[in-house]
Amino acid sequence: MLEVRSLSVAYGGLRALQGVSLNVAAGQFVTVVGPNGAGKTTLFKTICGIVLPADGRVEWEGSSLFAKPAAARAHLGIAHIPEGRQVFRTLTVRENLEMGAYPEAGRAQWVHTLERIHTLFPILAERAEQLAGTLSGGEQQMLAIGRGLASAPRLLMLDEPSMGLAPAVAETIFERIAQIHKEDGLAILLVEQRVAEALELSDYGYVLETGRVVLEGPYQSLLADDRVRRSYLGLGDENE
Amino acid sequence: MVENILNAVAAGLIIGCLYGLMCIGLGLIFGIMKIVNFAQGELLMLGMYISFYVVAGFAAIGVLGPYVAPFVGALVAGPVLFGGGALLHRFLLTHVSGLSTAARLDQGGFGQLIVTLGVSLILQNGGLIVFGSTPESVRTPLSAKAFIIGPFGGDTMLFLNQARIFACVVAIVIAVALWLVMERTRLGKSLRAAADNPVAATYMGIDVERAYRIAFGLGAAITAVAGGLMATYLSFTPFVGLDYVIIMYSGVVLGGMGSILGAFWGGLLVGFVQQVSALVLSPQLQNAAIFVVFLLIVGLRPEGLFGRSAERA
Ligand SMILES: Nc1ncnc2c1ncn2[C@@H]1O[C@H](COP(=O)(O)OP(=O)(O)OP(=O)(O)O)[C@@H](O)[C@H]1O
Ligand SMILES: [Mg+2]
Repeated sequence: MLEVRSLSVAYGGLRALQGVSLNVAAGQFVTVVGPNGAGKTTLFKTICGIVLPADGRVEWEGSSLFAKPAAARAHLGIAHIPEGRQVFRTLTVRENLEMGAYPEAGRAQWVHTLERIHTLFPILAERAEQLAGTLSGGEQQMLAIGRGLASAPRLLMLDEPSMGLAPAVAETIFERIAQIHKEDGLAILLVEQRVAEALELSDYGYVLETGRVVLEGPYQSLLADDRVRRSYLGLGDENE
Repeated sequence: MVENILNAVAAGLIIGCLYGLMCIGLGLIFGIMKIVNFAQGELLMLGMYISFYVVAGFAAIGVLGPYVAPFVGALVAGPVLFGGGALLHRFLLTHVSGLSTAARLDQGGFGQLIVTLGVSLILQNGGLIVFGSTPESVRTPLSAKAFIIGPFGGDTMLFLNQARIFACVVAIVIAVALWLVMERTRLGKSLRAAADNPVAATYMGIDVERAYRIAFGLGAAITAVAGGLMATYLSFTPFVGLDYVIIMYSGVVLGGMGSILGAFWGGLLVGFVQQVSALVLSPQLQNAAIFVVFLLIVGLRPEGLFGRSAERA
């Protein structure tokens, strides 16, 4: 469904991504992990047309995304839940969700998706008239995810949804993401620093370091990998 | 004395409504889209001249009659300035607003300042060449007629200038319509979303450049219509915008940034203070009175009358 082929991105002289390739199949749960500054957000921004690549291709269902304006992504069925949530602070919770439903597909299924969003995050129904900027961090993250779902997408891209959240709230967020994946059959592309939780949920994972994919594989093989265990899971070598 | 006060209050409310409409235009551009537009006064001025030429130049009076023509003239200024505003944004302001400046520290503020100041100067001096410096006005038979209410009590009477009353009614209708568009429709909400967070709006599938273009066009059109309506009761030159641009900014800030209703009430309050202060102050001091009220309100309520804080306490 989504195919990233040897993508390179540079900010001025600094090379943020170098020859990154990655696949997400329909209904698949894919996780990208890596340390700060590895280029994960850059990868997402490039897929979404906010940052322009130096080289490489991104294809969505067989056609290139770079030929299309950034705003076209949402209409094609790609929802991006950006790093730092980025809710519309001066709009109400309800209006935020309505803006999520801006694409045709979202509008057509609005009644249904709104109900679904409220089932997943009941707090959003309670706070419908509150300005989004006054929500707590966890609530804002829920709103950001709800807003993404409102477009009735086929791929949900989440950039560090657990960032800055208390462990219990992060736990809830992960549970909901898993639920969305299972029950709605949505393909998920997740970037996370909480490596253990994230990999556990996913079908396939990539490890990104300083702009390169250094490791990839199904989650069991990644969890078993020594480097992953040592650097990301804080576990010792298995043979130590 | 009572009669004077009563008439000043009535005039304040009526003129205030027109100021309210004028402020809504800037409220869209500055309050919501956060574009610092120095040329807003010149948009008002263009609205006045468009109305003037429609009424006088195109013999609209002959076709529509002297009562309707001035109001049609004022409304014609709307679509013309919508187009003009959208083009102005498309070719000049895109570079200093919206997505292209989302990552800049000042969000394009300094660029906007210079660009719109330049546009303002060009329009003033261009206006001088094209329209000349003789003061003009849109004459309607209504300008010289008044509804007379009273006498009540002793011999107190209220005179309501008919041109102003009709202009005021039209202004309120347009203000309410615009408020409904911004609050209730998908288009209005998408404009607010694009202004709030251009990058996130793009992720929602909103064409942010188009949203800014529409909002700027709308803001220009609303102020221009207000100008066209005001032209029925005052005379103007190409420099008339200078008198009003400050009034508009105080109205918008007073009402609360980001609030269409607030901009209207802010404008109304400014008009009211200006007219009522005329009772006791010389004309040169009327604008000073506005600023005293402005400082008082902003001192007590920094977010303005209708501003809502979107930050967590
Ligand atoms: N706009 C920019 N201009 C210049 N350099 C940038 C810009 N954005 C990111 N970078 C650099 O690109 C590299 C990758 O950044 P990116 O935000 O993609 O990392 P990340 O993997 O998302 O990190 P984190 O986990 O901290 O969010 C970093 O070294 C960063 O400093
Ligand atoms: Mg990041």
